[in-house]
Amino acid sequence: MGIPNTYTEQELVAALKGRNNQAFAFLYDNYSGALYSIIRQIITDNDELAGDVLQEVFINIWRKIESYDQTKGRLFTWMLNIARNASIDTLRSKSYQNAQKNQELPENVYRGASNQTTQQNVDNIGLKKVLEKLKPEHRVLVELAYFKGFTHEEIAEMMTIPLGTVKTRIRNALLQLREYLK
Amino acid sequence: MNLKEYIASGIIESYVMGLASESERAEFEQMCAQHPELVAERRKFEESLETYASEQAARPPREVKAKILKAIITMESSTKPRSIGLLRFVAAAAVILLLGMVVLYYQINQQNKDLTSANKELTDRATQDEGAIDKIKIEEKSVGNAIVVNMVGTKIAPKSSANVYWDSTNSSVYLVVKNMPQLPSDKQYQLWALIDNKQKNLGVFDATDKNIILKMDSTKKAQAFAITIEKKGGNPTPTLDSLTSIGKTQLTQ
Repeated sequence: MGIPNTYTEQELVAALKGRNNQAFAFLYDNYSGALYSIIRQIITDNDELAGDVLQEVFINIWRKIESYDQTKGRLFTWMLNIARNASIDTLRSKSYQNAQKNQELPENVYRGASNQTTQQNVDNIGLKKVLEKLKPEHRVLVELAYFKGFTHEEIAEMMTIPLGTVKTRIRNALLQLREYLK
Repeated sequence: MNLKEYIASGIIESYVMGLASESERAEFEQMCAQHPELVAERRKFEESLETYASEQAARPPREVKAKILKAIITMESSTKPRSIGLLRFVAAAAVILLLGMVVLYYQINQQNKDLTSANKELTDRATQDEGAIDKIKIEEKSVGNAIVVNMVGTKIAPKSSANVYWDSTNSSVYLVVKNMPQLPSDKQYQLWALIDNKQKNLGVFDATDKNIILKMDSTKKAQAFAITIEKKGGNPTPTLDSLTSIGKTQLTQ
């Protein structure tokens, strides 16, 4: 569990909202690894860039902590989503895409997701490791939605399958994922 | 869809992982507010996700922590609420001070104007008074041979006092009101010359101002002068009941 005995989640949130630097250092020490891992699962080819995104994520956490609402979820869930969104934004930024000029991103994503051999080392970390246990047609959809940030509509269009099917398959994939995480 | 089906639909996982649509999120949050069971299920999934993510943690580049801490310290010192508060306070104080000074300036300016006009008024009055004094001096000279008759108060007006200056050579009569009580607006004082037990009307006067010199009607003869209170405009004969002051001329003594 991410929160050691020194702070309960409640206390940690209160200390962070109170702009306590020590609590923030504690937060970094305890969560940076997990968040850096998710960032690297999205930005797969550039550790330096992933480090920059991690920095941006923690600064955003610091700046936005006031808006964190405990009734909507745990602190880690909130931070995980900040990290995922920041990573996807970076992935979609012009500067990043210019660096990947060989192919258009959707093509790249699709092939990358369906052809596991090219990114073996990255796919063996974090949630992607769990994804491997899913059926390929499920795995691709989760990959596109979660790690590439495409909407269900975009995926339906890209894969030429009905929106309802995309939705159902992703939901089923997530339910399976949950089973694997237990 | 009942709650069990809802829980098993995959919405919890979609919501937590940020894959639910805007309307799905709103519905889920509303459902959570109504069903603690759903919140408990959500929490379970969040915990297993967190545990798994922590187990899979990767070591971030060493320099990142120092950069972040430096950045937040910089942010904090530049956006510290207290320093903003102080700055705002100083700015507000400066504005108030400035407004205060402007108001003060106008007040002082106005006071200055008021004082200047008051000063001018006083100077004018002083000039007038000097003129009046000169006039009195001239008249005093003209009454240089005058007999001063000190009019003393009677029982009905013991404090009343006035002087009559009577120049027997040219018959002029001047009255200096020293202290005559104020009368109702329908009454006036009337000065009489007593000549051989008869009363001669020398005119009416008010006692609104003290120490004024009034030129009354002339008389060649007078054994005494008397002041009575009469109806406004005076009477042909004095109302002796209302005699306030009387003074005898030295000539008759």
